[in-house]
Amino acid sequence: MIKLSNIEKTYEGASGPVHAIKGIDLHVKRGEIYGVIGLSGAGKSTLIRCINMLESPTQGTVVVDGQDLTAMNAIELRAARKNIGMIFQHFNLLSSATVYDNIAFPLKLIDTSKADIEKTVAPLLELVGLTDKRNQYPAQLSGGQKQRVGIARALASNPKVLLCDEATSALDPQTTKSILALIKDINQKLQLTVVLITHEMQVIKEICDKVAVIEKGVIAEEGTVLEVFTNPKAAITKEFISVIINHDIPEAFKDAEISPTPIPDSSLLVRLSFIGSSADEPVISGLIRRFNVDANIIYGNVDHIKSTPYGTLVLEITGGDTDIENSLKYLQERNLGIEVIGYVARHDHIAR
Amino acid sequence: MSQDMIILLVKALGETTYMVFISSLISALVGIPLGVILVTTDKGHILENLTVNRILGAVANAARSTPFIILMVAIIPITRVIVGTSIGTNAAIVPLTLAAIPFVGRLVETSLKEVEYGVIEAAKSMGATPMQIICRVLIPEAMPSLISGLTITVISLIGYSAMAGAIGGGGLGDLAIRYGYQRFRGDVMLATVVILIIQVQLVQSLGDYIANKLNKR
Repeated sequence: MIKLSNIEKTYEGASGPVHAIKGIDLHVKRGEIYGVIGLSGAGKSTLIRCINMLESPTQGTVVVDGQDLTAMNAIELRAARKNIGMIFQHFNLLSSATVYDNIAFPLKLIDTSKADIEKTVAPLLELVGLTDKRNQYPAQLSGGQKQRVGIARALASNPKVLLCDEATSALDPQTTKSILALIKDINQKLQLTVVLITHEMQVIKEICDKVAVIEKGVIAEEGTVLEVFTNPKAAITKEFISVIINHDIPEAFKDAEISPTPIPDSSLLVRLSFIGSSADEPVISGLIRRFNVDANIIYGNVDHIKSTPYGTLVLEITGGDTDIENSLKYLQERNLGIEVIGYVARHDHIAR
Repeated sequence: MSQDMIILLVKALGETTYMVFISSLISALVGIPLGVILVTTDKGHILENLTVNRILGAVANAARSTPFIILMVAIIPITRVIVGTSIGTNAAIVPLTLAAIPFVGRLVETSLKEVEYGVIEAAKSMGATPMQIICRVLIPEAMPSLISGLTITVISLIGYSAMAGAIGGGGLGDLAIRYGYQRFRGDVMLATVVILIIQVQLVQSLGDYIANKLNKR
C-alpha cells in the first residue's frame, strides 16, 4: 500500500544543511497499522510528511496505492492527497468553523453538494461519537474531542491511508486510550491502512501490527511488534521498551556484585519471558518439584501485546551448585525466553 | 451657535464620512490582497516567491515612511489623472487611499501570520489549492484580527482626513482649522473635536463588536 524507497531528506538549516533522513525504506501493507517510533529529532515527523509529500524528499520514491507521488505535478498530487487522510498532534482544526463544517471541509474543497456532505458527515459524527457537538466550535471541545473531529475530517474524503502525526501526544493517558481504540476500530471497519508516528512505546504496543524504530534518520530496527518487544536488538529499542517492560536488574541487586560465571555458594538470577501459550506452562512448580532448589520471584509482570499475553519474571534460584546448573538446563529446554543475569553471593543482599 | 454653523458642521461631517468611507473601502480591496501576497510569498509559505515578497515589502515600506501631508502634495499629478482635479474632496480620496493601502497590507500580513501553520498544513494534506487555502483557511481564521486591523485603518483615515483641508478637501478637520483656529471660533473647534471623538468611538465599538462576534477561539 505504501512503499518508501531510499528516502533522503536534507534541509537548509541555519547552521548548514541538516540531513534529517538518510536512506529509509519502508513497506506498509494494506490494512496494517504501522508504527514509527523515535525520539524528537530522529526524523520521524519528516518521514511521515514524506508519505503525503507535505515534505518532498530530496531523493527516493514514495509510492502510495500504486501511484508514485514523487513523479507527480502539483495538480495530480492534490488529487492523490485526497486518498491520504492525516491527523495531527495539535489537531489543526479551523477555529472559525463548527465541528460539522470542519469535518465537511475536505468535501467543500471539491464542491460537494450540501446533501452529499450531510450524507457523509452525519455518519462520521456518529462514528466518532460527536453527533451532539455538531454545531459547537473547536474551542468548546476537550482535546480528545478535538482529535475525534480531526479523525472524522481525515476520513471525510474516504481515504485509503490514514497518517497519524503524534496524534495522541497532546492527550492524557485515558483519552489516548480511547483515541487509539477509535483508530483501531476504523482500521478494522474501513480496512484503512494506518501509519502512525509517536515517541510513546505504549501507543505502539496498544494498536500497531508492525513497528520501525528510527534513530538519527535511519531505521534502527523493524519487525512485528511482538518480535521487537520480546527480542529487541538495537540499544534504542531496548530503551523504548524499558519504559513498559522492566529489563533492568532488580533494585535489590543493584549494589550486589553480579558474576557472569558460577561462583561457589551463590544463587542464580534469571529473567524468563513468556510469549503466548508458553505463558500457560507451570514452569516454576515444575522446577521446584524436579530439583532441590528454591525459586524466589524478584520481579514479575504480565501484559498483552495486541491480544498475545507476554510476561517477564525475574527469579532468584537458590540451592546446591549442581541443582542450580540442572535447573538452568531445565529452563533452557522449555519454550520460553531465558536470560541469565548472573550469579550473586547468597548473602550479599541479605540486608534488603 | 448659529444655524449656519450647524449646516457647516453637518456638511463637514458628511465630507469626512465620505472621504473615509471611500478610501477605507478601496484600501481594503487592494490592501487585503497585498497582505495576502506578502504572507504567502514569504519563505516556506504556500506560494513562496522571495523576489515578489521583497519588492512588495520595500514598496510598502517606502509608502509608509512618507509623511501624509508630503505624500498628498507629491502625488498631485497622479491625483489629477485619476479624478481630473487636484482640489476638493474627491481629490483628497486619492492620497488617503494610497497612504492606507500599505498600512492595510502590513496589518493584514500581521493578522494572517497569526494563523497557525499547522492548519494550513492540514488543508494542504487534504488537497486544497493555494487559492482555497487563502480563501477558506487564512482569511476566515484571521477574520476577527482582520476586522480589528480594518477598524484601526478607518480610525487612522479619520485622522489623516483632517489634513485634506490643505488641498481643499473639506471635512471636519478643515472646518476646525479654518473656523475654529483661524477665526478664533472656540465653539466650532469644540464641536468638531466632539464629533470626531464620537465618530472614532462609534467606529471602534462597531469594530470590536464584529470582531468579538466572529471570534470563536
